[in-house]
Amino acid sequence: MTNGLQAAKPKSSRARKLAKLRADRILYLMLAPTLVYFIIFRVWPIINMRLAFYDFKAKKAWVFAGMKYFNTIFASPQFGKILTNTLIISFMKYVLLFPVFVIFAILLNEMRSVRLRKTVQVVSYLPHFLSWVVIAGIWIGMLDTTGAVNQLTALFGQAPVNYMTSKSAIRWILMLCEGWRSLGWDSIVYFTAIIAIDRSLYEAADVDGANRLQIIRYVVLPALLVPMTTMFILNLGYFLNAGFDQVLNMTNDSVNSVIDILDTYIYRIGLEKGQYSLATAMGMLKGIVGTVLVLTTHVTSKKLTGSGVW
Amino acid sequence: MLKKKLSVSQILLALVMILISLTMVVPLLNILARSISVPERSASMSGLEILPRGLSSLNYQIIFSNPVLLPSILNSIKITVIGTLINVALTTSAAYALSRRDLMYKKAIMVFLIIMMLFDPGLVPEYLVVQKLGLMNTHWSVILVTAVNVYYLIICMRYFEAVPESLYEAALLDGAGHLRIFAQIYLPLAKAGVATIFMFYAVVRWNDYFRPGIYLLSSSKTTLQVILRQFIVSGDTASIIGAQNLLSYNEFAKVDYTALKNATIVVAIIPILLLYPLVLKFYTSGVMAGAVKE
Repeated sequence: MTNGLQAAKPKSSRARKLAKLRADRILYLMLAPTLVYFIIFRVWPIINMRLAFYDFKAKKAWVFAGMKYFNTIFASPQFGKILTNTLIISFMKYVLLFPVFVIFAILLNEMRSVRLRKTVQVVSYLPHFLSWVVIAGIWIGMLDTTGAVNQLTALFGQAPVNYMTSKSAIRWILMLCEGWRSLGWDSIVYFTAIIAIDRSLYEAADVDGANRLQIIRYVVLPALLVPMTTMFILNLGYFLNAGFDQVLNMTNDSVNSVIDILDTYIYRIGLEKGQYSLATAMGMLKGIVGTVLVLTTHVTSKKLTGSGVW
Repeated sequence: MLKKKLSVSQILLALVMILISLTMVVPLLNILARSISVPERSASMSGLEILPRGLSSLNYQIIFSNPVLLPSILNSIKITVIGTLINVALTTSAAYALSRRDLMYKKAIMVFLIIMMLFDPGLVPEYLVVQKLGLMNTHWSVILVTAVNVYYLIICMRYFEAVPESLYEAALLDGAGHLRIFAQIYLPLAKAGVATIFMFYAVVRWNDYFRPGIYLLSSSKTTLQVILRQFIVSGDTASIIGAQNLLSYNEFAKVDYTALKNATIVVAIIPILLLYPLVLKFYTSGVMAGAVKE
């Protein structure tokens, strides 16, 4: 009988796929809003990026302009300066500041009083959750000529300094502020690696008569090697970022020339000056190089340490 | 446990850690103290004082009756509440679908989402979309433009994947559909994960100043962080809130604008402080789920 034959024959893979899709249709419906969101608010902007090759017209069709805007970028002396600012600030935040979070985690672990340690932890995580506007408000206030920092230096007979408008100080301020904001939060990954260390390793070191420094050197640091490698490599992926929100909120006319970074520049020429095509071209360059950087660091880190960005 | 004697190094360590904590606590207490001090005495306060000089609620009365500030606070609350609910609804339902191991095209969808996470098309291309959709100067612009964060979605998936598969199969055998399994098994069992991403989203929503700043043009639509940013960046508190708005206060002449700014900072921090105990309970586990697994 035909019916029986058909049932016995294994269904084609195409038919099986269709059946499976139909069975899972609720799942795809649950996914749909998210996918639609990304298509509208991410894929559509990606299509809009072609503006980098066009002159913008508000009401009419854009006019093809070829590489004009890219040539403008590379010919502009401004571009080199902004790229340098970005790389310097990134270096300070992602490389110079890097050991501070590791050291803080080690110090937390060294604290004998659990109560005090927990208090320090609770306090140190808090700045991470404050908005950049609030953080800028706090720091600008602290560094004001009548603020807390100048009150303290006055005790040592120093004349008040306007730190926020000092070109030589501002990049260090950005770095310190980033350290202040992330000290607790960014040390969590190291602290959890430390508390995961097998107790018996400490006991063995104790039996061998190791002192605290030797224990840190031979027991704690080896356990931190993997998270440190991961975090360091991943940091390199964000080198073109340098912290848009921080710069945007803490900058002022006196110091902007030394802390103007790619993202703040793109924001200014794009939305403040309305040079849409130029801003898009620059955003495209940054987006492509940035994505390649993050992908490279992710793959490298995954190979070396087993963990990456996701 | 043996009581170890307090060594010099332990005392030194404790002092250093207390000092570090003070750099975080003192500025906040100073801001609070100045905001509740009596206005004519607060102007001369130093940045190190953490006790108020007298007590006055004038700054807060101004904030909660000012025709610019009060609506901005309400707008912030509205955007945070509706925005976060949309964030969580979309993220958890997508995460549930993607945590089904046998979902067809799962891999392709994940690759798509990760590209979306990594590649940033930039400001202007997004701005043009918001304009084209007619969302400018509506709260929907900021709510919709950040509807799903892929990183939080992946964190949520990790939590759902940790729910025992046997429960899923048992529910399936009992004839439950995906929506029921999602709502009655996954959401309750992965509530630590759902709470975590809920707070991630809520904090980001409340703290956002950038998109509200570029998409919400009129002062009746704007948010607290945007106004606060104008206070801090331009420093011109009086013109932003409108000096004429202060005339109704008898004490108008005495207003200390720095203290008023500080009071606004306090209002901007309070929701974060309310969430903070929950943050401490759930966040650390969220960081682990995201950073450690694969």
